[in-house]
Amino acid sequence: METIDEVIVAIKDLEMHYGVKQVLKGINLTVYRGQIIGYIGPNGAGKSTTIKIMLGLESDYYGKVEIFGEKVSEKNMEYKRKIGYVPEIAELYDNLTAQEYLTFIGELYGMDVETVNEKAEKLMRVFGLENVYHSRISSYSKGMRQKVLIISSLLHNPDLLFLDEPLSGLDANSVMVFKEILAILASQGKTIFYSSHIMDVVEKISNRIILIKDGSIVADGSFNELKEQNKEGTLEQIFNQLTGFNEYKGLAEEFVSIVQGD
Amino acid sequence: MKNFQSLKFLDLFRGLFERFGINYPIMRKILAVKFTMDGRRTPTIFNQQQAKKKKKAEENGFIKSLGIYGLFSIILIPFVLLGNSLFYQMSIFYGVVMFLVMTSMISDFSNVLLDVRDKGILLTKPVDKKTLNVAKTIHICIYLFFLTVALTALPIIVGTYKNGLLFFLLALVGLILVDLFIVVLTAIIYYFILRFFDGEKLKDIINYVQIGLSITIAVGYQLLARAFNIVDLNITFSPSWWQFFLPPIWFGAPFELLLRQHTSMYLVIFSLLALVIPIIAIFIYVRMMPTFERNLQKLSNESGTSRRIERKWKTWLISRLSRNREERVFFRFADHMMRNEREFRLKVYPSLGLSLVFPFIFMFNEIQQNSFEHLAASKWYLAIYFSTMMIPNAVVMLKFSGKYKGAWVFKTTPLESLAPLTSAALKVFIINLFLPVYVILGAVFIGIFGVKVIDDVLVVFVTAILYTVICSNYLKGTLPFSESFEDAQQSGGVKMILAFFFIGIFAGIHFAATLIPYGVMSYFILLLAVVWVAWRQAYLKIWDV
Repeated sequence: METIDEVIVAIKDLEMHYGVKQVLKGINLTVYRGQIIGYIGPNGAGKSTTIKIMLGLESDYYGKVEIFGEKVSEKNMEYKRKIGYVPEIAELYDNLTAQEYLTFIGELYGMDVETVNEKAEKLMRVFGLENVYHSRISSYSKGMRQKVLIISSLLHNPDLLFLDEPLSGLDANSVMVFKEILAILASQGKTIFYSSHIMDVVEKISNRIILIKDGSIVADGSFNELKEQNKEGTLEQIFNQLTGFNEYKGLAEEFVSIVQGD
Repeated sequence: MKNFQSLKFLDLFRGLFERFGINYPIMRKILAVKFTMDGRRTPTIFNQQQAKKKKKAEENGFIKSLGIYGLFSIILIPFVLLGNSLFYQMSIFYGVVMFLVMTSMISDFSNVLLDVRDKGILLTKPVDKKTLNVAKTIHICIYLFFLTVALTALPIIVGTYKNGLLFFLLALVGLILVDLFIVVLTAIIYYFILRFFDGEKLKDIINYVQIGLSITIAVGYQLLARAFNIVDLNITFSPSWWQFFLPPIWFGAPFELLLRQHTSMYLVIFSLLALVIPIIAIFIYVRMMPTFERNLQKLSNESGTSRRIERKWKTWLISRLSRNREERVFFRFADHMMRNEREFRLKVYPSLGLSLVFPFIFMFNEIQQNSFEHLAASKWYLAIYFSTMMIPNAVVMLKFSGKYKGAWVFKTTPLESLAPLTSAALKVFIINLFLPVYVILGAVFIGIFGVKVIDDVLVVFVTAILYTVICSNYLKGTLPFSESFEDAQQSGGVKMILAFFFIGIFAGIHFAATLIPYGVMSYFILLLAVVWVAWRQAYLKIWDV
């Protein structure tokens, strides 16, 4: 691997239970600086839980989780200064205007009001949202909200980014812009954790793919490595194969036959 | 963002907060954002007269609502001023304060206690949990402070003038303890609801509390002017064991004990309870906080296990009342919409409650002036027409929905006419909303005036249906559930006055009919025919978009 060997995330024997259900069954993972990790897996495999643990939102886990060499715990929050996060569900205080929301978030990261405000406005302009900078977010379309979330995750120039389905609602042009942004960030040594269900995007942007299934990692490597191991052509096919899902044709036929009735 | 006065005040205690390890600048920012968002909400007590004036300078709806509580506090003045049983009076005083503070806290502040976004948005940033929790607590405290002051300032000034400075001190300490008690009690109630039910149930319960508050405020207005007449302050009220279960009485006890020097075992115990229970409650609260937070996650998780069983009688009713298949489909749809939509319930149910209460308020006047026997023999049963006053407002509300964007389905599905939708929505309104209220009202009226008014009660019900058809004119050109509540205009205006005018005419005709032998019966049959024709005509002419 041609990355500088600086460990950004180190996870060892991570386990997590919700009641009697074990959602993570011993995850081991080391992430180096500059990597774009494609973090994939079926619904309920434990992707979001892992991300939540790394962000310090869940604390009842077993194992070791270190980010920037610091132990993740409820008490420790300093490491969060260098993290950006785009959640899967567009949760934000939408009765604020974009200006109010973004300056607030920037200030939470310790930036001063004028700097954030100026930066946020410029970023909004790049995304073509300068006209609505002072409108309430509740009046935004899905794509516009997503852009605000993306901006809010990058305001403080973080070193580590967690992106959970960051492209949802964005139009094709914005998607291209954003993918390019990620490539530039990674080349500057930022580390990106990219979680998504859209396989062709993951295939294209990530330089390392981690597939998680039922709380365990079942594949870890670059796309080419996975391709060699599994003898399949696309990430989607590899995904289907590794998650043991091969009845898609049958299910599709059943679905259509129900639609048609007989 | 504005610089809030209360935050400037808070700045004075900055050192104190920092000593406890709280990141003050961060906390201040969180509070400023919370206040800004609060300013953009409409408090429940304004819900009925929500006039959306766009582009108006931003003002805090909450601060404005305090004025209403201030006005309301007049009702409390007789309790601190007149009478000679301070124990009883102050118990009532605390009872009213507790009720209003608690309901308005649940109505307007649940989203502070229950905001699940906080975790995802704030804790992923460099904000520690302690600072966030303290910010939340301060937020609630400031709110409670304003609310309590608005509600009690006037009566306490009056009371202090009459009873002296000790009264002021007792009242002050009492109110602080009451507020603490209420916060914890609310949290504990939420805790148990969330523990045994899902988040949807909790939202429903909050919704009903909001409705209850709206009704109380509206009825309270009617009683406001008569507060001094209604209250019987010369009641003898002595402490006894069952009062252990009524917290307001604990808080009333110290006044009797210290101001009137009535020492009794009960009074001492009550006073101690008033002091000790809130403090114990705080400790329980702090203990429960982590589990409470965990249960809160239920709010964001959809648990779709509960499934409503379609009742047999409803299926039967639908098949009786709907002329064609399409209307039956819409009947079921409208039924589900009205049942599930909290915003709709919040707008309409309070007026349902009022229509239940209004007829009696007018008769109440009559009883005070004459006797009950006099009333029962009179034609005051026509007061039941007041219950139809809610119809225009409710019918207008039918066109709004919080989920109005879903209305595109009516355009994309192959429907010849949308008249069945309006027709079905009106039928559901009559059966689900108006009929239950009317049945209760009718039963009480028959109880008061005797079986001879049965036919009159029936006449008014048929009139209500006719009146609904007339009011449906306001829906002309729109579809039910297709517009945003944001666009709902103030419900008053010339249109509404015109609508009320009709009630007068109907009541007049009815009165005339009672003067003729068999008049009411004939009028009833005539009305049935008119309703039948009117519904058909409206179906073709008004409701077909």
